[in-house]
Amino acid sequence: MTPFPRRTIGALALGAGMLLLLPLAGLDRFLLDVLVSGFLLAAYVGSWDIVGGVAGQICLGHALFFGTATYSCALLTSLAGWPFAAAGAAALLLSTAVAAVVGTFSGRLKGPFIALLTLALGELAHEVMLGQTFFSPRGAYSWGGEGGIPVALPWENPSPWASYYGALLFLFVSTWGMTRIARSKEGLLWSAISGSELTARASGVDVARHKRRAFLVAGLLAGAAGVGFAAHVGRATAADFSLELSFQAATFAAIGGRGTIVGPVVAALLLHTLFQGAGIAPAARVLLYALALLLILRFFPAGVAGTLRERFRMRRMAPGGPSP
Amino acid sequence: MSELLRAEGIEKSFGASRILRGITLSVGKAEVVGLFGPNGAGKTMLANVLSGLIPPDRGRIFFEGREITRLPMDARFRAGLARTFQIPGPYPTLTVAESVRVALLCGDRRRGDGERPPRGLAEETESVLHRTGLFAQRFWPAAQLSQGCLRRLEFARAISCRPKLILLDEVFSALSTKDEAELAALLRSLHRDDGISFLLISHNPLLLEEMCGRVVAIEDGRVTWEGKPADLAKYKPHAHGQDHGP
Repeated sequence: MTPFPRRTIGALALGAGMLLLLPLAGLDRFLLDVLVSGFLLAAYVGSWDIVGGVAGQICLGHALFFGTATYSCALLTSLAGWPFAAAGAAALLLSTAVAAVVGTFSGRLKGPFIALLTLALGELAHEVMLGQTFFSPRGAYSWGGEGGIPVALPWENPSPWASYYGALLFLFVSTWGMTRIARSKEGLLWSAISGSELTARASGVDVARHKRRAFLVAGLLAGAAGVGFAAHVGRATAADFSLELSFQAATFAAIGGRGTIVGPVVAALLLHTLFQGAGIAPAARVLLYALALLLILRFFPAGVAGTLRERFRMRRMAPGGPSP
Repeated sequence: MSELLRAEGIEKSFGASRILRGITLSVGKAEVVGLFGPNGAGKTMLANVLSGLIPPDRGRIFFEGREITRLPMDARFRAGLARTFQIPGPYPTLTVAESVRVALLCGDRRRGDGERPPRGLAEETESVLHRTGLFAQRFWPAAQLSQGCLRRLEFARAISCRPKLILLDEVFSALSTKDEAELAALLRSLHRDDGISFLLISHNPLLLEEMCGRVVAIEDGRVTWEGKPADLAKYKPHAHGQDHGP
């Protein structure tokens, strides 16, 4: 794969250093909370980029994997009385299993049909969770719908610093892992499938099997972000399955540069923190995301990191360009 | 000459349109067979069926004595039956080297050639790129290649599975004279040095005469003639008013 240019590595290291030191600047609890949800959202967007960017399978129901994890945590801890750690592990398994099923169905489909299938499955789960009522074990009250289900956490009032550094560590590790996967041999095969399924098949790639693997990895990582979100917010709501959450992932990936992992992660983190930190209402944020997308695509047709990567590759083509 | 590929009674229809009507054809080991015919005769459809892209309605296909009729295209590639496309479809986000690496990862590099031990992926990639004359363009995005280089990349992809047979679909079309000569030399060297068999689909009788040991002509989905390339000039097509191309 094309190596990262040194300047990119430098900029990423600078950004990571700033994030590590940011809480020392005396941020209030609200901003720390915005950043923690930003880290989790960024990891979730990165997981979308594995399947939607690197493997090129446009998944418009990605929140299905995220919501499966948050609901599993909530139902298993609050209704079944499982400890959170066990519920989190089960949530990861369940979100991966759901992704495996979606990946299996998507294996034989192409482009818009995968988008439609995932959109339909995501929306189905959203509607079911909106209408579903769960009764607490003592039968005293009902849970579900817009209000969601509480997650029984083993801690009360966790330190905002612990949440911040825990989520930041998760973002670093998951982004590093996703970048490694995207640049691995498996990632190369996903990129080939994304480029031309026909040529990939003629090159010996078992397309259905590798598509399923891409969904599996993306589902696992989206599930991990969902477990983190359940632990942070302490509640699973139908919004975890929402179309808005699925579209947000695709929008941030398009802004950052599909298939670059780091681009979508940084775009999600920056835009979420900027707009939510400024206290902009959710409906207005959607509009601003759309405007940001239009503006970015005007100057960076393949997203910011995608366009920069293309320019770097063109420089390597030129005589005297940087060597490998 | 022992048979490498044998297709028996291949039929393919789309609705009322019968594209292939019981074609029987074979390719021997280390043989170059030409497939000749007018536009719409079913040449590319036959390549699609033989390569596993499209399943036949009837008929059976054997490769090295094993039936592969229902084997998908990727599995046939791994088994040593590769193909190139009339219109190459490069991976737009991958470089030339990465495109070759994809095929090397999936092709059976461990098969070796009997004399040399299997090599590492990087070394193998470099070797394929050198052999196909694409080493200088290895960092280029595949989508930026010229038509001639795209055909080379098709060859590079096809030889990455250490194939026993390559189906070449109009591989010399839309090329400059220089590119055509270079590709013909590459084909000859692969045939001579590696003993690879070829089924060469072409409109061009002169090219088939020059490259092939045997030519099969098809028309309207049927085999209408088979013989030595030198006799191709005597072959008179039966279909009415059909264009034989350049």
